Amino acid sequence: MMRRVNALALTGLSLLTGLVLWEFAARDISRVVFAPPSAVLTRLAADIASGVLPLALLGSLATLAVGFLLAVVLALPLGFAIGRNAKVAAMADPVLNAIYAVPPVAMVPFLIIWFGLFFEARVALVFLMSFFEILVTVAAGARNVDPMLLAVGRSFGAGRSRLVTRVMLPASLPFVFAALRVGLVRAINAMITAELFLAAVNLGALMKHSAQRFDTAGLLAVIVLLCLVGLAAQAGLKSLEARLLPWHVRQ
Amino acid sequence: MSGNMKYNLLGIAVALAVWELAGRALGADLFAPPTVVFPEYVALLREGQMLRELASSLRQMIVGYGVACLIGIPLGVAMGRSRVCDALLHPWLSMFVVTSVASLVPLFILVFGTGFMFRAAIVFVASIWYVMLTVYHGARGIEPRFIDVGRSFGANRWRAFREILLPALYPYVITAMRIGLVHAIRAMVVAEMFIIVGYGGLIYRAGLSLSTAPLLALLVTLMLVGVAANALLRSGAQLIAPWYERRVVSASATQG
Repeated sequence: MMRRVNALALTGLSLLTGLVLWEFAARDISRVVFAPPSAVLTRLAADIASGVLPLALLGSLATLAVGFLLAVVLALPLGFAIGRNAKVAAMADPVLNAIYAVPPVAMVPFLIIWFGLFFEARVALVFLMSFFEILVTVAAGARNVDPMLLAVGRSFGAGRSRLVTRVMLPASLPFVFAALRVGLVRAINAMITAELFLAAVNLGALMKHSAQRFDTAGLLAVIVLLCLVGLAAQAGLKSLEARLLPWHVRQ
Repeated sequence: MSGNMKYNLLGIAVALAVWELAGRALGADLFAPPTVVFPEYVALLREGQMLRELASSLRQMIVGYGVACLIGIPLGVAMGRSRVCDALLHPWLSMFVVTSVASLVPLFILVFGTGFMFRAAIVFVASIWYVMLTVYHGARGIEPRFIDVGRSFGANRWRAFREILLPALYPYVITAMRIGLVHAIRAMVVAEMFIIVGYGGLIYRAGLSLSTAPLLALLVTLMLVGVAANALLRSGAQLIAPWYERRVVSASATQG
């Protein structure tokens, strides 16, 4: 108990020190080049109160939701198929590694050619960036399901479908959640990347306007908001995982 | 192993065949097939600009990535082995790991301009947190028994660190460098495409041409760089600690 309190105190201290250093550094160097945290926070509060940021965020999240859901729906079954079949895995491995090595942003010119500059193209980038991340993680997880578990199930007379539903699925859920967490963070990255590299809309448009006016407070307000969204997404999936898979989290 | 190799090659062949068929169906202005990309690729190699830009972009990337490794690896070890360091650094790590590199680009341009510092800084912030995170997980996961055994044979703290902890960490360090490199290359392209310079700028400009062949050729080079660097680091890991490969794979798959 004492340890937890100490750790929390240290964490708070660290964050506070960081903010104070940033504040002084920003004041010393130049407020124009780098806004201090106080200015960023007031700006964040003002932009949230005026409805500009929430509205832009909602627009961005629509892209995120469509692209991410598409990626999950396609990548999960495909990941299992690849992971559970040694031959398919051996065939897919070099191809996936090769595609994975190409930075998704480099695909943006393609997306423009195929989907234009607007919603469809943004969804495509979100899909692309989260799809492979989920696929690779799920395939690795499905491959590493403890063979002992399957053997025990089999020797207790479980058939193929029962093995899948009662043993395979629960055993691979931790990996599925890991894949969803990683994939969601990538999807959020993709969302803002798309809004900056394709037609500037929503949060991306806010950032571009701020950048044109050398308004670092406005830029940092959006960055902080995005960071909070990412942290919230992670925390949400983690608490869902804790509720659904108490055995894994305890380990 | 040779059976596996056979399927690897088969997979590549199937992928190339699918690409060729799709490319022929869609046409070169939508998706150039390999038979069109290959001559284009040879032409780009002959012309030399592609490799020149690649070399200069990679040089700048290496600086940011190298500094990220030099700082990130010790910090990751410190976080993994000391509760105080963990409590102090973890909040920053969690925040920056979810922060999108692209969103930092406009800010970094205002702060650093668009020169060398900008690109190196973007690569640095893009890779350091992943290096730290991976090393942190490795350092945390080291069997306490190893250290106990060392201690009971009379090793002091420093010896236990140097002779037990460090060797156990090597494979994680290599994995961290691999993951960091993936992010470093991505960040390099993000930064360069945004301001249209270097290799990323080349990609951006190739996207404007009528055929997709030059664009695909540029992506193939990038892919080869990524795969080659990865293979190099992987064989390094194999050399240093062959027994860890599996463990590292499952560890890096479960981390957030």
